[in-house]
Amino acid sequence: MAFEGAGHLPNNRDGEPAEPRRLPRQRRGVTPQMHGRYPDHDVLAQSDRWDEPTRSVVMGRLHAPAYRYFQQEQIETLEAFCDAIMAQDEDPRIEVLRYVDHNLSEGRGTGHRYADMPDDGETWRIVARGLDEAAAQVAGCRFAGLDAEARDGVIGRFADGGLRDGAWSELSPAHAWSVVTGAIVTAFYAHPWAWNEIGFGGPGYPRGYMRLGPNQREPWEGAEARELVADFQHDVESDPGMAP
Amino acid sequence: MSGRRVLKGSLRPPDNDSAFLLHPHRRALPGRERMRRFRTSEEVDLVIVGAGAGGTVLAQRLARAGWRIVILEAGPFWDPDQDWVSDEAGSWHLYWTQTRIIGGEDPVVMGANNSGRGVGGSMVHYAGYAPRFHPSDFRIHSEDGVGVDWPIAYEELRPHYQLLESELPVAGEHWPWGDPHGYPHAPHPISGAAAHGWRGAMARGIDMRVGPVAIANGQFGNRPHCIYRGFCLQGCKVNAKASPYVTHLPDALEHGVEVRADSMALRVEIGETGRAVGVTYAHGGSLHMQRAAAVAVAGYSIETPRLLLNSTTGRHPHGLGNDQDQLGRYVMVQGAPQVAGRFPETLRMYKAPPPEVSSEAFYETDEARGFARGFSIQTVSPLPIGWAEHVLADGHWGQALREYMRDYNHWSVLGALCELLPCAENRVTLADERDENGTPLARFDYTQCDNDRASIAYAKRVLNEIWDAADAQDVLSIDRYAHLIGGCRMGTSPENSVVDSDHRCWEVPNLFVTDGSALPTQGSANPALTIMALSSRLAERLAVGKISPEGSSAPGG
Repeated sequence: MAFEGAGHLPNNRDGEPAEPRRLPRQRRGVTPQMHGRYPDHDVLAQSDRWDEPTRSVVMGRLHAPAYRYFQQEQIETLEAFCDAIMAQDEDPRIEVLRYVDHNLSEGRGTGHRYADMPDDGETWRIVARGLDEAAAQVAGCRFAGLDAEARDGVIGRFADGGLRDGAWSELSPAHAWSVVTGAIVTAFYAHPWAWNEIGFGGPGYPRGYMRLGPNQREPWEGAEARELVADFQHDVESDPGMAP
Repeated sequence: MSGRRVLKGSLRPPDNDSAFLLHPHRRALPGRERMRRFRTSEEVDLVIVGAGAGGTVLAQRLARAGWRIVILEAGPFWDPDQDWVSDEAGSWHLYWTQTRIIGGEDPVVMGANNSGRGVGGSMVHYAGYAPRFHPSDFRIHSEDGVGVDWPIAYEELRPHYQLLESELPVAGEHWPWGDPHGYPHAPHPISGAAAHGWRGAMARGIDMRVGPVAIANGQFGNRPHCIYRGFCLQGCKVNAKASPYVTHLPDALEHGVEVRADSMALRVEIGETGRAVGVTYAHGGSLHMQRAAAVAVAGYSIETPRLLLNSTTGRHPHGLGNDQDQLGRYVMVQGAPQVAGRFPETLRMYKAPPPEVSSEAFYETDEARGFARGFSIQTVSPLPIGWAEHVLADGHWGQALREYMRDYNHWSVLGALCELLPCAENRVTLADERDENGTPLARFDYTQCDNDRASIAYAKRVLNEIWDAADAQDVLSIDRYAHLIGGCRMGTSPENSVVDSDHRCWEVPNLFVTDGSALPTQGSANPALTIMALSSRLAERLAVGKISPEGSSAPGG
């Protein structure tokens, strides 16, 4: 069965991720970009089984908050950055930056600030400036105007600590990377659409979980798309590099 | 003895009715509505700063001995039914998210992972592991030539460990390491994810055991059985997992303790005689001072030193207990790298409590490894956001990050807790910046020593070898820290410590430090049980008059 093997994982493919469009389309509920390993798993269909405070918090995320913290120019740059970090290249998208903006405008801290860093909001603004400066150097345009390859090149340099001049000299690149990517994945994987994509069962109270063993699932948890071996085989035939 | 066996799992702990005072269905504490209230001008016997593991156990014990006690807690008094959610991102309010400045060569990220806020403290969101320290932990300088010896021995804590294990209660297999002992509750069933780690360890010749986990395995008073919901780190809405909120506070309220929530302590006040006379705190936008005959600070390793550093007087220009420049020093964290292994089956590690199986086979020094002291190994099971941080830390973003995230249900995660050594320069100081009360923020600098780096690297190798022996198809690693210890350590003289072996500040005879900051070393054990046991021991000594807050310790005490 397709996902018993691990051939689809980047470490087993020289770091090169597999093309997600080989995956089935989501059949129930929504996932980001609608590709799903669990095409019939819709965690929101279970929301009537959650306790009320949890339901209120999770359902509240379905409506992305309006921008209050970032300026339009920063939004253009940072949305492109967030989409690249989360590989969101088409709708439906989780509008990650709006949740980041909301937390910053609420002044919701994380509990720490690196001694060599400004506060988190200022870090985001400097990163926006730095990304545009790096784009101007490589392609003479703003970050949002880069093609995917150039964009990923800039992000790769950010991740490896290779961006140091201009705006980047105002912060520690490694700490800045952890501040912004930490906030991005927190926003993305807080969203129930992302739970659908990864097959996460979601809030477990008051019902709890019973089936703890390997390959077991609760009756309401959607199965992994292993039955779609035929589709996968078709992909392998057209692209032998996809073979597990 | 046979009668005891029949009752296994349902024994009622002596002198603590907490589990029976809880409401069987509602999670708010029934005792809160009729909680005793003291006037600030009334001199209570003891004011405690912090309603966590250290402060709550001390209050519960001494209230039973007739002491009149007020606990000041910076955070809220929870109603878990309303305030806690089965959701990672929605649980930020359980953590101490007020800013701390972090520095040094290896800065320690603060907040969700190591700092609690609110009644119940960090144990509201700890995983639930409740191991004892080993006897060797109390004399690592004598035995291994590193760190410092404690001024007390393991044997002084043993009866308190036993008592706490019955109160929490702790579930697990018979424990072969350290001081071998059993647990009052039988081990929990384990999940498919944890079973892979166990299998790999066995194949590699490493002994593991189920537990020790402070989650009732069976009905315990009015606390129900665990429902394996998996959100232990977001606060247990079931009341199955132990925290002082359910294990000691109900009994404390029943015996007249007042918990004053949303009350941030700003200064310990010192009178003309040099004794503590109370604590000034901010509540509802104004300042108040609770008078007390004695003060116990239990705000953990960052806020306790911060409070004492901020409590300057003419006699104590550098803060209380800081005449010898010891306050805020020797703060420790445990190296807590995690390595995940990938398997053909779906394991869905979000089910069942994250803590399940652990090993202390590497706890003690083995000179062949090339470093002093050791580490423990434990199963951990991150929820999606935690898993995303793990994948990011391994260097993946974009499509690679998404791919590993979609693969979530095929992974199992093992963590190590490495004993990192106390170092004087790893310390809490005051930053220039101030908070909304005008109080300087804490700054925490941390740098690993060579022994620390060697221990972490070795532990990661062992975790990788376990997954290799389990035939994992891929592995992903993250470097991280866990827990906090030290900052006001106990010792043998004012030159090497802030408090004596009775937790009493060398410079102020009626000021005590009763939290993780008093521990001189940390072992490779999760600290909650030891923090509680130390408070239990202190309370016993205070209650029988072996220590008098009036003056020096009684002879032979």
